[in-house]
Amino acid sequence: MSDPRVTGAVRYAQDVELPDMLEARIVRSPYPHAGIARVDASALPDGVVVLLPDDVRGLGVYGPQIQDATVLALDVARYAGDPVAAVAARTAREAEQAASLIEIDYEELPAVFDPVEAAGDDAPRVHEIAEVSENEAAYFDLRPQPGTNVCHRFRVRQGDPEAAFEECDVVVEETYRTAGAQHVHMEPHASAARWDGDRLEVWTGTQTPYNLRSDLARIFLMDPERIRIVCPPMGGAFGAKTFVRLEGIAAALARKAGRPVKCVLERAEEWQTLNRHPSVIRVRLGAKADGTLVAARFRCWADTGAYADCGPGVAQKMGFAAAGPYRIPHVWVDADCVYTNLPPNGAFRGYGQMQSTWARELALDLLADRLGIDPVELRLKNVLHDGDRYCTGEEMHDCHYEACLRAAARAVDWDDARRGKGVALLLKGMQTPSRAEIAVEAEDDGTYTVRCATAEMGQGAWRTISLLAAEELGVDVGQIRYAVPDTDIGPYDTRTTSSRSTYVMARALREAVRDLRANGRRGHGMIEIPGGLDPDTGQGVASHHWHQGAAAAEVRVDEETGKVEVVRLHAAIYAGRVVNRPGAELQNEGSMIMGLGTALYEEIDVADGQVTNANLSDYEIPAFADMPERLTHDLIEREGADIHGLGETALPPVPAAIGNALASLRLHVTELPLAPEAVLCAVDVREGVRA
Amino acid sequence: MSPEPEWLQPRSLAEALDLKAERGEEATVVAGGTFVGILMNQGLLAPTALLSLARVPRLDGIEANGDLRLGALVTHRAVELSLVVRERWPALARSFSVVASPRVRNQATVGGVLADADYASDPPAMLTALGAVAVVRSSRGERSIPIDELIVGHYETTLAFDELIVEVRVPGGGHRAAYRKFRSRSHEDRPCVAVAVCRRGDDLRVVVGAVADRPQLFPELCDPHATPGEIGLAYADAIEPLSDIRGSAEYRRRVIAVEVRRALEEIAG
Repeated sequence: MSDPRVTGAVRYAQDVELPDMLEARIVRSPYPHAGIARVDASALPDGVVVLLPDDVRGLGVYGPQIQDATVLALDVARYAGDPVAAVAARTAREAEQAASLIEIDYEELPAVFDPVEAAGDDAPRVHEIAEVSENEAAYFDLRPQPGTNVCHRFRVRQGDPEAAFEECDVVVEETYRTAGAQHVHMEPHASAARWDGDRLEVWTGTQTPYNLRSDLARIFLMDPERIRIVCPPMGGAFGAKTFVRLEGIAAALARKAGRPVKCVLERAEEWQTLNRHPSVIRVRLGAKADGTLVAARFRCWADTGAYADCGPGVAQKMGFAAAGPYRIPHVWVDADCVYTNLPPNGAFRGYGQMQSTWARELALDLLADRLGIDPVELRLKNVLHDGDRYCTGEEMHDCHYEACLRAAARAVDWDDARRGKGVALLLKGMQTPSRAEIAVEAEDDGTYTVRCATAEMGQGAWRTISLLAAEELGVDVGQIRYAVPDTDIGPYDTRTTSSRSTYVMARALREAVRDLRANGRRGHGMIEIPGGLDPDTGQGVASHHWHQGAAAAEVRVDEETGKVEVVRLHAAIYAGRVVNRPGAELQNEGSMIMGLGTALYEEIDVADGQVTNANLSDYEIPAFADMPERLTHDLIEREGADIHGLGETALPPVPAAIGNALASLRLHVTELPLAPEAVLCAVDVREGVRA
Repeated sequence: MSPEPEWLQPRSLAEALDLKAERGEEATVVAGGTFVGILMNQGLLAPTALLSLARVPRLDGIEANGDLRLGALVTHRAVELSLVVRERWPALARSFSVVASPRVRNQATVGGVLADADYASDPPAMLTALGAVAVVRSSRGERSIPIDELIVGHYETTLAFDELIVEVRVPGGGHRAAYRKFRSRSHEDRPCVAVAVCRRGDDLRVVVGAVADRPQLFPELCDPHATPGEIGLAYADAIEPLSDIRGSAEYRRRVIAVEVRRALEEIAG
């Protein structure tokens, strides 16, 4: 077996070498919020190319959903790490040395680092205006709140929870928090750019080639058709490689240099590039004495950092998934995407729904405890079934939440004993609306070439789509060649996110093969998924289909130190039909392990706006020795079912299942991660030695 | 970023000592490189020269004739896997076996972990509890420094500018010892609180690591007739713990009491 990933044969974006290519380093603001008074690069030696704010002043303002970003910070740096200048030289080391000779004078400005504080009227403003983007990634109506740091407010208005709480027998209320996290993809961000006359070519690790192309067109004020994006496979992404990251800097440097430029980040810079949204979520939940859920009110603050990126979408999904897979007649949600002076936060496996699942599922166990009802029973009593309506008004189909929950509970022997055990249920949306296209070409030698923009980031998408193509064509998978995504050659796709690729490409493939059979050499298939929500009421179609899953955990707690050990962890997810079984199993395991890190260890530590743990010694992810004694999962299938995406489903319910396992011991911790110190504090509270 | 450091690679101990005498503090000594490499990558260290010990022969032996002698270039992994260390100094083998991951332990050395004097390393507390000494050489001669006199503060040792650690000697003879590493996060993390205990007859040594600038030993509190719980509380009281990403001072104080008691219970009876 010579897997090219093992032998080192895979060429990642960071391995791209172009003739006469220079390498770049970025000069970053040391202050979280500061005016840029003077930038002086006169001390730089000959032979290096420097990009300064004035070089990019005439370029376009960009951003997938809000137009708030420029290639370099122009007059104001908005977070510690904001790119202010960039240098290209023959080697990255020379570029780094030259970069240290650039003198920049800053004037510090007041800064804000907490999303609730930042959403207030008196907070320092991170951006003066929030212009809605015309990028296709702005796929819903945005609601920036003028005069505040809120760049999008999404609301669900169904029924009247305030009145309904009056009629509830039990109402619980709690505030939950989740920490910022790093994706820790093994391969850092890497991009190379080359100009050929008025054409721009970019080789980059990206999940969003077409979104990237349209934003680069906006930056360089040019026709998107004159930009070519090539996406080599990535060594991990998890959402971090979406939209414009280094591509604008690499391309602007390349244009100024008249030579190709490559930029590869150092590990520490990853924490300054894109992280997961920290959140604060207030939950109020009311039920009848028999456990019937009546009303829910959610208030979410998603901290998007200094640039919105896709934060509005994250806040919206955090918001519309907040009510969870339950029948609740009265639901109001207010989800704010809030600017702060922290590094930008964006897409992260689970996309806002880990955060709201954490809050809701813990509140449900609190409610179960107050009602004296078993947490599994409470969920089963209210869980969504086929034909039920969600709080968005859409009718739910192909519901398997009950099966997921039962499988998860069974895996931890829920009925034998409940102490130290917890469960959580997840409902998660898929990108809606969206469009996918794929082309299948018959070659002279009897093989077939598949072209689409689905990016390979370690999730096995190329293998899975090749398997689907082989199945559809009735040939061996060895006859299928998957072409490296290239916007000059391959057709359009919305993006490789939200666990949508297998589902949408399978459907587009069917069309493409039908077309190929009709036309001989080349077949083209397209699928368009309609839908969308009204941001002021949350009514409409949130998700074309829903990702469904449950997790169950059993923990052991050292009550003298607060250390939590997860003994058993199980996820049960609905897969519809599994295409690539080893790949699907690895997705489930990877999601659960990432969820374990979120639950127990991962937290971006910030002091005065500076990330203090931007390295893999101080920022801890799970190690092999941290694995639970039993780590198991189910891929629930149904005869004749559609394919369901499964790249993220097993992550979001894991922290909540572990949190609820602690709650079963009457240890109530509301903030992630579950640090031993916080758990010990919960022991003190239970024992009455601390308030 | 400064220019590439000069790479000095002596092929004998004598040559290494001459270079150290000549270049002194200006030449940063590198053995496994796990510590120096991180500091350089983070821009916290920018040496003009690196003095590599990788080609210096005869510094990687493990010998046990009564005392245990560990060459300065013995890796953590070698100590962890050594049959004689595991049989006669099991707590020492354990303290090396719980460091980070096998990738790190295959590189990190016995001399390196002492010379770095990083407060959050595992082995120094255990070596202190066992009464180990570092054998230190310079072109002027040789001396022995007990570990608790070698590490005196954050990244600070009593090594002179021209001295190299060449060996660590651990007393043999009957003893009972234990090492407990309390991690507040991942298994591969550094300790939040580390406790090393060793009893030789009536001589008890309790050392707490990773909670202050250097391993904490209070001989006056090591009353062999006190209960484990009493000694734990006395240590928690005596230490002024630091706060870092692995735990606050207040939290560490509580864990010290618990983990010292547990370590002493492990060697009781």
